[in-house]
Amino acid sequence: MPRRAASPRGAGGGWRGARRLDLAQALIVAALLVLGLMTLFSTSRPAFVSQLTGVALGLPLFAAAAAFDYRRLQPAAPYLYGLALLLLLAVEVAGHVAYGAQRWVRIAGIQVEPSEVAKLLVLVALAAFLARRETVGRREVLLLAGLGLPPTLLVLFQPDLGTAIVFASLLLGLLFLAGAPRLVLAGVLAGLALAAPLLPHLLHGYQRRRLQIFLDPTQDPLGAGYNLIQARIAVGSGGILGQGWLHGLQGQLGYVPERTSDFVFAVYAEEFGLLGGLLLIGLFTVLVYRLARAAAVAPDRFGFLLCAGAAVIVFTQVVQNIGMNVGLTPIAGIPLPLISHGRSALLSDLVLLGLAQSVVLRRPLVSERAAARVALTESGTIRLPV
Amino acid sequence: MAGGLIVLLAVSALAVRLVQLQVGQHGRLAAMGVETRVHRLVLEADRGVVYDRHGLQLAGNAPAWALRVLPAALPADAVRRQAELAEVARVSGVAEPTLGALLAKAPDLYLPVTVKTGLTAEQAQAISERLPELTGFELDRTPVRTYADWPDFGHVLGYTNRLNAEEYARLKTLGYLPDETAGKAGVEAGLESLLRGRNGWADLETSAAGLAVRTVAQDPASPGDSVYLSIDAALQQAVGQYLRDALKSAGVRAGAAIVVDPRDGELLALVSAPSYDPNQFTAGISSAAYQRLLQDPSKPLYDRALAGLYPPGSTFKMITAAAGLQEGRIAADSVLPCPASIAYGGWTYRNWAGYDMGPMNLEKAIAVSCDTFFYRVADSVGDMALARYARAFGYGTAPTIEIPGAQAGLVPDEDWQAAQCQASGAPGCRWNPGETLTMGIGQSALLTSPLIQAMYVSAVANGGTLLQPTVVSQVRAPGGQVINSAHAAPVGAVPISPANLEVVREGMRQCLQAPYGTGFLFRNDRFQYDGGCKTGSAQFGGSGTDLPLHAWFTFFSPYANPEIAIVVLVEGGGEGHDTAEPVAVKIADYYYSHRAQIRAA
Repeated sequence: MPRRAASPRGAGGGWRGARRLDLAQALIVAALLVLGLMTLFSTSRPAFVSQLTGVALGLPLFAAAAAFDYRRLQPAAPYLYGLALLLLLAVEVAGHVAYGAQRWVRIAGIQVEPSEVAKLLVLVALAAFLARRETVGRREVLLLAGLGLPPTLLVLFQPDLGTAIVFASLLLGLLFLAGAPRLVLAGVLAGLALAAPLLPHLLHGYQRRRLQIFLDPTQDPLGAGYNLIQARIAVGSGGILGQGWLHGLQGQLGYVPERTSDFVFAVYAEEFGLLGGLLLIGLFTVLVYRLARAAAVAPDRFGFLLCAGAAVIVFTQVVQNIGMNVGLTPIAGIPLPLISHGRSALLSDLVLLGLAQSVVLRRPLVSERAAARVALTESGTIRLPV
Repeated sequence: MAGGLIVLLAVSALAVRLVQLQVGQHGRLAAMGVETRVHRLVLEADRGVVYDRHGLQLAGNAPAWALRVLPAALPADAVRRQAELAEVARVSGVAEPTLGALLAKAPDLYLPVTVKTGLTAEQAQAISERLPELTGFELDRTPVRTYADWPDFGHVLGYTNRLNAEEYARLKTLGYLPDETAGKAGVEAGLESLLRGRNGWADLETSAAGLAVRTVAQDPASPGDSVYLSIDAALQQAVGQYLRDALKSAGVRAGAAIVVDPRDGELLALVSAPSYDPNQFTAGISSAAYQRLLQDPSKPLYDRALAGLYPPGSTFKMITAAAGLQEGRIAADSVLPCPASIAYGGWTYRNWAGYDMGPMNLEKAIAVSCDTFFYRVADSVGDMALARYARAFGYGTAPTIEIPGAQAGLVPDEDWQAAQCQASGAPGCRWNPGETLTMGIGQSALLTSPLIQAMYVSAVANGGTLLQPTVVSQVRAPGGQVINSAHAAPVGAVPISPANLEVVREGMRQCLQAPYGTGFLFRNDRFQYDGGCKTGSAQFGGSGTDLPLHAWFTFFSPYANPEIAIVVLVEGGGEGHDTAEPVAVKIADYYYSHRAQIRAA
């Protein structure tokens, strides 16, 4: 972060604070968008065109979110939370079925994936709720769980296991970052560990099958295991330098399944190789770091939780998505932020990152080091993520 | 801090895994990638065409379609896959469980599985309309073998069929594919190596949907050679017709007829009745139809001309005569009686005629087929010498011919009997000298096939050369150039002096042309061609009198430089002059009235 004498504009300032934008974060976002578009261009022209319109729509939204004072969201949080539940219920009632799951609703003629929008809304709501509490005790934990579980369960039963995992880790991450008692956290984790054996019974048929196939992909080389095997072949075919952009045959010829969405990383890794793969992982790591820094310099607890939650969301999605592409985690459909084709996810991710910029833009006018201290002292029990 | 640690750990795990896949397993995974993407397609060679001696097509390749499926390209979703298979079952008529079994058996997901072959243009059209929705399925043009739609060609042409597991195990070193089609009988089997051609291959890069994107490398197939048979298709049909008519009027089921050129061993007609239609095999014969063929009491799949074994009866007498002359046991001008029977070793051996036919020389004895005359000749020659001469005329050896299945028959003598006795261990078992007598008239344990007979008659006709029979006159490469039109070298020369053989030939001439000849006596039409013949009425089914008879007739013509020899056998047909001879007479009539066409180059 450049140590630059800040203008004497205080927090809550307008667009003039653009000078203090987190430039590194913006550049990483731009780089990821370019890499994503390049990969989509290589594997599917229609997806590329559609994603391009998403980017064209998303960049102004990113800028608008950065300009918008995030603190004005806090009072609206209950309504946003209500909207999130409404959207998720709408899917249950009138959703389109795709890949054996209901994920889309049509709003004003446009297909929207409500779980992606809900992700953003629930983060704002939970952050706003926690920000109002100085300390987090058992009461808060229960209340937060009460707020977080309905959307999580609604998503899980769509069924969208991937987004449910994101919600769950967001919930846990916020509790952890907001300073919930360690005993309580340990209790929650123990509860999850106990609930894990029940998971197969809660999962839909195809989800359960995917879990089994993850454990042994050769079990069903034609069906679900095919995805895993083909993704692994594509990644492995990339080698160190990759087959070159537009030359990844596994991806181009369609052997990689869902090659514009869930398995876009396999296509990318085949074309750009280990170097490209490490670059992508590096970019995402720095992005998570920048979000953590944004949290650290946040002028208030709400901003802190908002950025920290954004970091948790991006981190979870990246690890789960790349993990399933390389066979480290079970297949649970989840997009790779800014890379996978999908305009709902792209727009909500860009708004989220724009809000983090909004937090950075409104940080206190002190040196970085001092700002970190301020954040610490303001919230008392907060442990910094970085 | 803890959060940072979690992030670092997770990111490091991803990076390590990426190195593992892209560096450590790169070679293996990239190879798997090529394997899934590039598929070797075998380009099956067009099978060589079979023509008759004039270039009339007898076996060829008709366009047909095969429905195949690439298992890897089927929808991954089980419900959609099931729906697709149900639809395929509906349009192709292949039952769904059969389809499922075919797919379950597929050894490689990226090798096409043949669902159905021999689809007609209409069937293929109906399927192709549905094809866009049936991912993974494709229609292939694969020619189906078709045969001239005439009766009586089945045994000569044979048929092709898919290899069974056991045949594949035997042939895979020759580059055969598991479900490749190969000749199973007739010249299709005998000339398999010429007709098959050489398969090629193409390495195709395909998309996951099974669509070929480009050809990486290929080696085109070369078609098989064309085979021009020595068979004259029209003559073959006429021979078949005459034989079947004769069988019908005699009330019997089976027989065989052969027309051979005694100068070079080329067979002009080769008929075994009843026959079968080879076309029913190529489209995949149903097991019910195959069982019907197998269980038909008249055994239509059994090639009697090559594999049928019968006692030769009186047609053997030329060998007895030649042996007697050559061994010096009888002279051309020796005159012996022809009583109604003779007594020998306590048994009575009868002549076919129940009266004394008077003294006669050897020529007349052949012409009138006097059994008692030949009993004496055989007795004086002895069984060992007689057997030796029989073997010199081709008896006891399976003729080499381009059709598999020719049988050797049997030539009995004391040595053979000794071996039999040793095997059976029966007390008092030994060669009965009386067997020598009956062997002299073509009975005893003698067995011959119509083909052996044809080559034997040819040897008598052509002055003593035992030829190798052939049904092939020419082999041509796919480009049309003649590769081979040479005939195999003769098997050997019979050890009979020309003068002695001439006596035998004269006996056959008298049989055909002298008023007392058995071939003249019973003939009731105006047969104006010269030559020689011998009738035979071979007892079978035991020993004694009043046994059923196989009817034989052997014939050659013209007398001076014979150009055809004919053998006719009617199983259980009674007297040779009665049922077999009329067939041969009609064949000879047909031959001479169509000689120009048959002999046209």
